[in-house]
Formats: sequence, structure tokens, C-alpha cells
Amino acid sequence: MASAPSKLYADDVSLVVVLLDTNPFFWSSSSLSFSQFLSHVLAFFNAILTLNQLNQVVVIATGYNSCDYIFDSASDLNRSFENGRMPVMSSSLLQKLEEFLIKDEQLSKEEPEGRIKSSLFLGSLSMALCYIQRVFRSGALHPHPRILCLQGSPDGPEQYVAIMNAIFSAQRSEVPIDSCYIGAQNSAFLQQASYITGGVHHKPQNLDGLFQYLMTIFATDLHSRSFIHLPKPVGVDFRASCFCHKNTIDMGYVCSVCLSIFCKHHKKCSTCGSVFGQAQSEAASASDKKRKTPET
Amino acid sequence: MPQVKIIAKNFMDMVSSLPAIKLDMLYRNQFICEAILRSLPPLAKKYVLQMLYIDAPVTSKSLQEWVLADGSSKHKVAVDRLIQLRVFEVIDRKKETAYKLNLTFQTSLRKHLIYGGTLPREPMPPNVIARLPTSEELDAYALEQWECFLLQLISSGQAERSSSFSSSMMRIFQRGLLRQRDKEAARLTESGFQFLLMDTNAQLWYIIREYITNSEEQGVDQADLIAFLLELSFHTTGEAYNLDTLTDDQAVMIKDLADLGLVKLQKGRKDSWFIPTKLATNLSVSLADTTSRKQGFVVVETNFRMYSYSSSKLHTEILRLFSRVEYQLPNLIVGAMTKESLYNAFENGITADQIVTFLQQNAHPRVAEKVPSVPENVTDQIRLWESDLKRVEMTPSHFYDEFPSRDVFEAASDFARMHSGLLWEDAKKMRMVVKAEIHMLMREHLRGQK
Repeated sequence: MASAPSKLYADDVSLVVVLLDTNPFFWSSSSLSFSQFLSHVLAFFNAILTLNQLNQVVVIATGYNSCDYIFDSASDLNRSFENGRMPVMSSSLLQKLEEFLIKDEQLSKEEPEGRIKSSLFLGSLSMALCYIQRVFRSGALHPHPRILCLQGSPDGPEQYVAIMNAIFSAQRSEVPIDSCYIGAQNSAFLQQASYITGGVHHKPQNLDGLFQYLMTIFATDLHSRSFIHLPKPVGVDFRASCFCHKNTIDMGYVCSVCLSIFCKHHKKCSTCGSVFGQAQSEAASASDKKRKTPET
Repeated sequence: MPQVKIIAKNFMDMVSSLPAIKLDMLYRNQFICEAILRSLPPLAKKYVLQMLYIDAPVTSKSLQEWVLADGSSKHKVAVDRLIQLRVFEVIDRKKETAYKLNLTFQTSLRKHLIYGGTLPREPMPPNVIARLPTSEELDAYALEQWECFLLQLISSGQAERSSSFSSSMMRIFQRGLLRQRDKEAARLTESGFQFLLMDTNAQLWYIIREYITNSEEQGVDQADLIAFLLELSFHTTGEAYNLDTLTDDQAVMIKDLADLGLVKLQKGRKDSWFIPTKLATNLSVSLADTTSRKQGFVVVETNFRMYSYSSSKLHTEILRLFSRVEYQLPNLIVGAMTKESLYNAFENGITADQIVTFLQQNAHPRVAEKVPSVPENVTDQIRLWESDLKRVEMTPSHFYDEFPSRDVFEAASDFARMHSGLLWEDAKKMRMVVKAEIHMLMREHLRGQK
């Protein structure tokens, strides 16, 4: 699949929408503590804002049940007197993060058991894309937006369809999605997202040096990406999930009209309603039977 | 036509020419480190941040590996710039060179990223100040001051009041922009015209650069001046700062800056304070960012008429440079671009590109969203009229005739071709035209032939 066409970026102003994973199930079992992670990430935000006067950072928190905007460096509320230039250090970001976590936890009291403990990545990705659309429509002069996902939770296969739709719309609007995966296994969604939209995917080996990874790879603005060495995708996990049970499958049935994927044979496609013919194996057994009878 | 170009050089060239000790002192200030970081080319910014937490020197070979093959020229430019500003220290080992970040710079920047920076002065509490001007009033004030200064600079009689700059200061600013012949009024030079059509930020840099180079003679330390200006760019627009917090040198400077429109001075009952305007806070935006984000005012139509929604005298003067101003209403200037007015502009040294850029950058918001903001037939015609004046290209040369024999002619023409000086030859009648630069060589050659 071809990656997004590279635009010619005139300068190095960037608008970064950061999707921060706050899934408590992941963070309770991670080797890196959440507070250490936050200290790396906050210094990284400061560095981005230092690079250019017009740079902008927007933070969206990805919780277990909900997502919300945590921080926007361009909003006027951040002009505090003590930290005229470094609003990220102000307590408003940490305060809003705490409020969000409390709200998120309250929502999970009504959850059924048996779900993979993934975060609501598709929600925050959609919110990020809506924000970027608003920026596109706001006027002629805007910095070039990109999305950075800091994820550690595993993928939730039930989110496959919505996430792929979001990725394709990001590809359409030429918004690269970078992803930094800090969990244990690999995330197929993040790899696919970065590959399709032309962003960078990386899984840091040593989480103590997270700030250095972020600075080296993910702080690169879109203009400089054409001449700086960045990690290339080694092998992208393109496995899909079936539309009927949301299981990850390697081989399955594909509707020829709308390209939806099913793991078992269905009479009718659930997405577009087109009727399928007989399956291959049944037709073969019918012709076998026909051949047998004349011989006898 | 001579191609004179004013390049309002980046402030950082001046910073990099300071001696090493002064630079180190400057780097102790976190805001100056931030301003310098922002002025670097994008690749250099990346290198600085990547090496921020690396204490050991990095060899230049490994630095080269960070860049793809396409970017090797940009890499060289970036590294040279960093060395020039003394941000990179070169450590020469026997086999290879290595780079390390300047220690003072590194410490200041690290502190800045983790803790944020605090300005040496805080805004004054609102109960002491009588009434702060709104941002529109502040912008209008800054614009008015700056325009007044510019009008006085080009010594047009239209300036309403003169600024408090001494006449010697004004003369220094005008050096290179105006030319005065005896008994004539001062006329703008070509550089002067180009200066007027430049972006406000670029003009500001030019003036401030002249101001700083001149300040040494006044006894003010250049480094202090630069430090103060860079710090000023990090203040919040519209907030009041007490004048008592300034040193003596800075207090002297503040008055000059108020004349330029960078700050507004106000007096209360007990204290007096200054308020930075947008012009000041935009100082640290690097010159590379040429997209001016201010309101435009010019609408250009396809019939070559121009409507400028502005009442500023400066704008009238600028428009008069290349168009024929027909009517001037209280809020509107109507003009037309004619062949005569444009020929006039070209003879004064303005190029078509400058005129087109000026029109595009100052396009009224109503037309700015259209692509293109200035109609193509107008821009094309301006360029065509410019090339009209360049139809004939003149090269000083010499004409050789009456060669004694064909061999001599052939030898001479080969000789001229070898020195790439042959402009025209007629083999039948044995005549040729040769560039003036190699005329003496040709004469020697021909004498040798005889």
C-alpha cells in the first residue's frame, strides 16, 4: 500500500496533536511508572514549544472508557504570569489530567468483564482528526498538523473497522500519524497507521531514555523529514479482524462489493447487503456426488 | 540596471561576531539561548536538542549519519552555523573531529526545558496601573510610531512630528538609503526603494542593526543591548513592566525603542512603566518566517486598478512609487498601474518581483484567500514591462577587421574561443567581435603572430 504523498513543507512550524495513553490497566503493570513517563513527556512538550514561536501542542488523553482534551498550548487560558513561556509546567495540565482520570474510572464501574484491556484509541484518534479539520477550515495560515500516539495498551480488535476508517481519512487529509509504542508486544494498529499515512513508528528499546527517543525521532518537523534518517518500517503486521466476531484472522472471506472481511461463510454481507453465491467446498462436493452416480 | 539588494541580515550574524567571552555571558541567560535556538536552521535545531543530554563528544562521522544523502549540504550549513555561534565546540582528536555542546548553553537550555524560564521582571499588579491600553490601541500606537519614524527617515515632508532621535542618528539610519546632492532635496537610492517595499520585520531588523552597530560609539556595550532586546521579545504583549527594573543603560535605550514603536511608555502617579507591543515580541521570530501575518489592505483588479483601504501616509508614499495615485479618500486610496508609472519604478531600481511580492503580501483579506491573490494578467504584465527594458544587453567589446591572411584570422578566432571571448565572427569577410576583457591578450597574440 503506497504511503501518503509527501507535500513540500516550507518551514518547520508544527502542530502536534498528542494522544496520551492513560489506561490504568496498562500503567499498573508497566515497568516505567506513569509519573516518570509524564516527566519525559512534559519536557518533550516544552522542547517542541521552544523550537519555534508558532509551534502548537494539543494533548488528548486516551482513557479506558473515554477520551478528552487535556491541554492546548494556543488557548488563552495558558497565559499565566509566572511561567510566561512554559505553560506546560503550569499545574493546569496536571490538574485536568487528574480530573479526567477520576471521571474515566467512574465510568468503568458498569463495564462487562472479558474484554481485552485496551484503551479507547479510536475515540482519541477521531477527536484528533476533528480538531485538525477545524484547523484546516479556520483560515489560510496554519501550521502543518501531525498526530503523535504514545500508546502502551494492546490493540482491541473490536475497534478495527473504526480505526481503519480514521486512518484512511487521515491519509486523505495528508496528516501523518507517528506512533511510539511503549508496551510489551507489538501493536498492529499503530504500525499500519504510521505506514499508511507516512508517519514514523518506533518501539523504544530502553524506556529510561524515552525523552531522547522522543527528541530524536518524534520532534522532527515535517519539513526536515525528507533529509533526516528516521526508523523505517521493518515489517508491518497487516492482519485484519473479521467484521462478524472481531477476531484477528489470517485467511478469510472478502465481499467483492464492499471488501468487508468475514471469517466464516455468510449468505449475505452484513455491511452492503449483497447476496453471496455458494461456497467453494459445497460446490465441489455436489459435483462429486454427480460423478459417482453414473458409474454405478 | 544594477541589481542592488538590501539583505537585512539576521540578527544572529551580529551575535556570532561577538567575542567568545561575551557570548558565554550571553548564554547564561535562558531566554537568549531560546532565541538563538529559534534562529537556527531547522536541522541545526534538531542537532542541538538531540545532543542536549549527551555529555560525551559526538564524532562528526556519526553526526553525518543522522542525515540522509540529500541533506548533506544542509548538514554542512547547519554545522557551520553552530560552530559560528559557538554553540558547538570542536574537539580535534588525532583521527577525527568531534563536537560537543557549549557547556553554558547546554546547562541553560536544560534548565529552561525542565523548569521553564522566569523573566527578570514581573508585570505590575493591576491596582497600581491606571488603565492599560487594549491590544487594538497598542497595535495602533505601534503602527503610528513606526510609520512616523519611517516617514521621517525618508525625509518626506509628510511626517507630523519628528521623533526624538538626534539628527546624527537619523543620518546614520539614512546612510545607504538616501542620497543627497548639493542644492537638491535628498532622494531615495535604489536600496532605499527596496527598503520601503520590504516586510516590516525586515525593516525593523535593518534599523536595529544600524542602531546596535552605532551604540558602541555611544559607550553602550553591544552585548548588553542585544541581551536586552532578546529578553524584551519574550515579554508578554500588553502587560506593564516597571521602569525601575531597568538598568541605566537599558533606561536610555527604552526611550529610543519607544520612538520606534517597540514599547509604549506610560506614567502613573508614582511609577512609570513600559508596555511591549507586538513589534517587540515579534523580534525573535526568525527572518526565515517571511509570511507576514498582518492585515493586508490592497485589492488589485484585472483592469490594473488598485484600491487600498488605508489612510496611512506611508502607504500612499509607497504606492506612489510604482502606481499613479488617482484619488485619495478618507479611508481609500485609488490608483492605477500604468506603463509610465512602472517604467518610473524600474528606473529607480525596483524590480518586478519586489512589486509583486509587496502586492501579494499586503493583499486585502477579501482577496487574500483567492488563488492567486493578485490577478495573473497583472503580474505577468508587470514582468513583461520589466523585461521590455532589458531587451538589449550590452557587452563592451572590440571589433577586429582587415586581417592580413586567412590563417591569421583562423588562429585569432581559435585563440578568442579558447578564452571564451568570441562574440561574433564573419569568416567570409574575416571580421570578428571580441569581448573587451581579452582585448589586450588578443593584441599580444596578434603581435606575436607577425
